[in-house]
Amino acid sequence: MTRSGFGKLSTGRLLMVAAIIAIVSGVSVGLGVGYVIHYDAPTTRTFFLFDRSLPFDENVFGYPHDTFVPDTITVNKGDHVLIHFVDIESTPEGHTFNLDPPYTLDAVVYKNVTVPPGGGVAGTFHNVPGVIIGQGQNATITFTANWAGTFRYICEIHQPTMTGYLVVIG
Amino acid sequence: MEALNDLKMLRWSAVALLLVTGMIDLYYGNSFAGFYENLWYVMGGIYIFAAMVIAANIEPRFSQLTVFAYTLFLWSVWATVALETGTGLDAVAYADKAIEAVLAVNMVLLFRSSRRV
Repeated sequence: MTRSGFGKLSTGRLLMVAAIIAIVSGVSVGLGVGYVIHYDAPTTRTFFLFDRSLPFDENVFGYPHDTFVPDTITVNKGDHVLIHFVDIESTPEGHTFNLDPPYTLDAVVYKNVTVPPGGGVAGTFHNVPGVIIGQGQNATITFTANWAGTFRYICEIHQPTMTGYLVVIG
Repeated sequence: MEALNDLKMLRWSAVALLLVTGMIDLYYGNSFAGFYENLWYVMGGIYIFAAMVIAANIEPRFSQLTVFAYTLFLWSVWATVALETGTGLDAVAYADKAIEAVLAVNMVLLFRSSRRV
């Protein structure tokens, strides 16, 4: 009985051929995947985030008329994110920015700019799940997008309408 | 007799390494959710399937060589993507790839022993 082509090769040769084929095809696929990913080096991405009141009576409809603008923030995994969160309410109404776990954030909250003398730091927070600001206040929120996926950012006071999504492309 | 014992030991160590690598891949897909997590599930699933094939000793000369090639293939894909883009450089991936390297050596030894016996 004659041996097949597979059986004719020595063990060393077979392993060598398999290794070369595997590595060459692996490198080819890897180059393709790398191209598809269109990877951007981590960078600081800055956003301005506002509250918006839609023109309807929340008492009639039964849910808040407040929303986030923008309601979607997209970054790449590893990016440093800087959000300027501003409460532009014309009435004394507060809003929170809470990010889904595992994210936590650092924030600096500034005083109401509409009341003289205005400005100045009202509080500094580290590694907190969220932050609250009042009418005329703003906060600089920072965190690093270490986890890929879609995560909600919400105002705890105005649920379910005041909800946005952080999309981290990994 | 000794050669047979060595063969058995190498086969079961390969099965253990394949299962561990498969579980790590499934964990990676589950924990680092993103656009590519399904690829990790597929890779992990193939490793676990390969563990079963090696354990059952089905067509050993073909299956052992294929698992060896598959291990080197995935290692090369990871290394190329990591060098090209800087992604996949974390503790879980390092552990996974270190085990894969040991698995490749294990498969070489297993394949040589199988051919000798």
